[in-house]
Amino acid sequence: MDKKYGVYICTGCGIGDSLDIKALSDVADEEGHPVRTHEFLCGKAGLDMVQKDIADGTNTLVIAACSRRVNFDTFRFDGCLLDRVNLREGVVWSHPRSDFPALTEEEKEAGETFDRVQMMAEDYLKMGMVRVGKINLPEPYKLDTFSRNILVIGGGITGISAAIDAAKAGYDVTIVEKEPHIGGYAAKMRKQLPVDDPYEELIPPIINAKIDELENHSNITVKTNTVVARIAGEPGNFTVTLKKPDEKIEFDVPYPLPEEMKQDESGKDLDVEKQQELYLEYNKGKADILTIDPDGEKFGAVILAAGWRPYQPEEGEFEHLGYGKLPDVVTNCQFEEMAAKGKVTRPSDGKEAKSVAFVQSPGKGEDDSDFSYASSVTSLVGLKQAKYVREDYEDGKAFIFYQHMRTPGLSENFYKSLQQDPGIFMTKGSVVSVSKNGEGMIVEVDDTLLGEKIKVKADLVVLGTGMVPATVDDPVVNLAYRQGPSFRDIGLFDGYCDSNFICFPYETQRTGIYAAGGIRRSMTMEESMDDATGAALKAIQCLECSNRGVSVHPRSGDMTFPDFFFQRCTQCKRCTEECPFGALDDDEKGTPKPNPSRCRRCGTCMGACPERIIGFEDYNIDSIGSMVKAVGVPSEDDYDEPPMRVLGLVCENDAYPALDIAGLNRLSYSADVRLIPVRCLGSVNVIWIKDALSQGMDGVFLLGCKYGDDYQCHFVKGSELADIRMKKIGDALASLALEEERVTQFQIAIDEYDKVPKIINEFVESIEELGPNPFKGF
Amino acid sequence: MADKYLLEPDVEFINQIQGLGGDTLKKCFQCATCSVACPISPETKPFPRKEMIAASWGLKDRLVGNADIWLCHNCGDCTALCPRGAKPGDVLGAVRSYAIEEYATPQWLAKMVNDPKMLPVLFLIPVAIFLVLGLFLKAVGVNWLNFSPVGEEIVHSKFFHTWLVDLIFVPTSIWVVAIFALGLQRFMKDIHENALLEGKTDKETIEGLGFLAALGRVIPTILKHKKFSECGENEARATSHMMVFYSFLGLFIVTNCFFFSLYVLQAHGPYPQMCAVKWLANVSGIALVIGSCLMIKDRLSKTDEVSTYKDWYLLFIVLGVGLTGMLTEMTRLGELAGLSYFIYFVHLVFVFNLFVFLPFSKLAHLVYRTVAMTYVEYAGRK
Repeated sequence: MDKKYGVYICTGCGIGDSLDIKALSDVADEEGHPVRTHEFLCGKAGLDMVQKDIADGTNTLVIAACSRRVNFDTFRFDGCLLDRVNLREGVVWSHPRSDFPALTEEEKEAGETFDRVQMMAEDYLKMGMVRVGKINLPEPYKLDTFSRNILVIGGGITGISAAIDAAKAGYDVTIVEKEPHIGGYAAKMRKQLPVDDPYEELIPPIINAKIDELENHSNITVKTNTVVARIAGEPGNFTVTLKKPDEKIEFDVPYPLPEEMKQDESGKDLDVEKQQELYLEYNKGKADILTIDPDGEKFGAVILAAGWRPYQPEEGEFEHLGYGKLPDVVTNCQFEEMAAKGKVTRPSDGKEAKSVAFVQSPGKGEDDSDFSYASSVTSLVGLKQAKYVREDYEDGKAFIFYQHMRTPGLSENFYKSLQQDPGIFMTKGSVVSVSKNGEGMIVEVDDTLLGEKIKVKADLVVLGTGMVPATVDDPVVNLAYRQGPSFRDIGLFDGYCDSNFICFPYETQRTGIYAAGGIRRSMTMEESMDDATGAALKAIQCLECSNRGVSVHPRSGDMTFPDFFFQRCTQCKRCTEECPFGALDDDEKGTPKPNPSRCRRCGTCMGACPERIIGFEDYNIDSIGSMVKAVGVPSEDDYDEPPMRVLGLVCENDAYPALDIAGLNRLSYSADVRLIPVRCLGSVNVIWIKDALSQGMDGVFLLGCKYGDDYQCHFVKGSELADIRMKKIGDALASLALEEERVTQFQIAIDEYDKVPKIINEFVESIEELGPNPFKGF
Repeated sequence: MADKYLLEPDVEFINQIQGLGGDTLKKCFQCATCSVACPISPETKPFPRKEMIAASWGLKDRLVGNADIWLCHNCGDCTALCPRGAKPGDVLGAVRSYAIEEYATPQWLAKMVNDPKMLPVLFLIPVAIFLVLGLFLKAVGVNWLNFSPVGEEIVHSKFFHTWLVDLIFVPTSIWVVAIFALGLQRFMKDIHENALLEGKTDKETIEGLGFLAALGRVIPTILKHKKFSECGENEARATSHMMVFYSFLGLFIVTNCFFFSLYVLQAHGPYPQMCAVKWLANVSGIALVIGSCLMIKDRLSKTDEVSTYKDWYLLFIVLGVGLTGMLTEMTRLGELAGLSYFIYFVHLVFVFNLFVFLPFSKLAHLVYRTVAMTYVEYAGRK
């Protein structure tokens, strides 16, 4: 496309009062770009002015006004390249003239001093202009074959609900269930927790009604006794091989080589060829991940509702509670099974169990933690099962010993109503022992609300053990992805299948696969049904985005995708390995094979690539690199005391909004920084930092999301990877005789706008202490 | 020996407490707002949090023989602030009712006093005793019950002889003391055991002189209603309670004075209105009527706190005693002979109810609370 430029400077919102608009216009003029100013660019007259130019052929626009995060639709001009230069929040609001006075006429005449704010605005305008020069209009990635069918893995309450929701929205759904019957645990209960107002009484299981409803939908296919052998391909075009449980077939997914097999006896890593050889041997009889099953079924998206299994205590794990030793100590699941069959009795002799103790926390140890994988659901189940005892025996007694009684939301009503039962007794406490006492047992509890030590007699003891997600035992999804068949374990979720619990529920670390129900965290049936709806909607969103060739989430609608210049690829596999979403496979040589509709467009591959051969149409090594180079770096040749120049690469998801809010609140920070928004810190390629330093900039900082246990990165690993890369850059700096401290990374949350100015100012001060970059002026 | 840590919840006890006005007890979720809110709760092992869970677990032994339940004056601060509507004040009130019944002998009489259906019987008992005894004496020639008293002046003893009154009330007062003595013996033992078990005292035994000394220290507190006036929510109740309390005290003094004048000075009533004792009697009588009316009004206006049959029974009797007493005097002065004699008879029926059923009614708190407060003072509970 022939680029016809147009630069538009808005003088409203205080921009015109603060800046020398004439001088700013001259900057564009020098580039030979036509410039227009308007005092109200987002108003009708201003927009008409822009539209008229577009009608006359202008197609490459630089709008120097407010932040790109506001007036998004107002300044959306389809078919045009656009850069929004942030003069309002980024320059004049965050650098008020009260703190950064403008030059007087005499000072301007003398030319010895400089106006930091004006310099900043001019640099940003230059950076905007150079960027639009470097980018191209993206075209969507269209799949050759596209399936709108949805696969639901798991036929429990969640899977059934998700299937119904998706079917109602008009999509064809297939449910696969490994058991001979659908219904899951929901079909194995005596009663279930309430799902409706007033949330006070137990209700008969609702699963049968759900199954009936399912059967009314002709666009739902149910396959029982079936599991997924492999899922190959990408969203919109998954090829799924199904099989009977325990069957071994050619299209079982190959497993990556276990870590210990990648090393020789001395613990040294084997070379690539040897590893490849072992890998093939390890997966003998299985087709490579890139081989597509010709008989596979096509699906567009997958809902993972594989649920949970009861926690199985290890031998001797709860010895002090008598588990495994006393026959009348059972888990809550065993108790439920018994209760579903009839009256509650003692397994040892079949006699009535009129006094039942529910132990919700293992106790004994120093901490007050509950059983593994226990949660609010196990608290509620404890309450529910206590009620069974009361239903079965008029003189029945149920004791609940808990460390945490968790009844969130309206389930508090259920707790309250159970509390009213005169035969249910609850106390917080640490269960110390369960011992035999004649035919019954004695439960001893310490630190209770009733005193330091109490004992009660029990006929039956029920342990409130947890719900283990199916993904702990088995990948379930069996993805034919180079990163492996399961979701990447980032060591934070105990095997639960999730990405970010708060920001991105349902979205797993694999695009196109949406998790719901007990696989995500332990949930009640009510929660599972809600969750199923969420996952179904996400799956539909995925289909409708993949269909149009745009990104699903979190960059919904982004039309770009990473483009590889394969001729220069060295097969280092960094992109394949570092992609947080497993979007890249590779062939036997290690050449990456992109799957654009798996991709979330974070650019982590672009940041990783040492050859810099990965880029997006509107975001690439050159476009950002050129922006860096467009920053003016004054030296002693220009002024006696030239200002510092500090580059900030700012994550556009949380950090950049925080800066905008800082501007909105007129919180000022150093005017010597130049900020460039990036898709994710994971996309930051170290070459940009080297470029900045080699052209004389005094420091570079990265501002992005928190990482670690409480990570907030939209792309899971971006900020963490950036941190690793920044640590490695230290050596390179040392070889240039530059201090390591010149490059650093800060973590910030979106609501910490009040902290951002201080972070920036302190960094600039620390750079000032180091003194100017010795390369300045070369 | 029973394991002191072994708990055996008594569901029947829970049901009973619920029936006695503590129907909210299971709502407690042990936040302890009540113990914090209570203005008179001790600093260590404060109530009523622990009493609430003991009640919801049906642990009768921890409650009935627990001195702490008597320290509560049911001001209602805890009930007003309870986030769950568990009404700890009412629960403690119910537990106290239960305790009174528990320590009273004979049990059947205790049950009768607290059973609304038996109310007519409670009134028929004194009527029957008065008539049967009076008529029997008449039959053997002792004319202490005269249905047609003669003379210009209305003199109640001409109708119902003072000796007949005393013949009935002197033995019954001995019986009241005896019943309390029996109850207190068990009560003291229980509260002491409970205090030792829960570590609320370091005194091994109860020693008589020390206990009396503690009583001496507690009496001013009671007379001043010091604990009562610390309560926030129901401050007004301290006033009405004080009125009733002091009017009873006044009437007690009056009764003793007249007893003395009758048997020692041989001076018969009615006594002149200008007599100082008569003044005291009149002031007390009026205070009793006003005080009990205030209490009734207060209970009617407090919809968030439970009032049970026991409360109403006692208030009814107290008001009845006051009203009939005053009316007896007024009709006498008004020279309405027939009416006055009748009201006097009714008055005696009310007094009988108040007095003879004292160990079984809510009024027994005057003994148990005093003893409990004394014990706590003696035991050094902090």
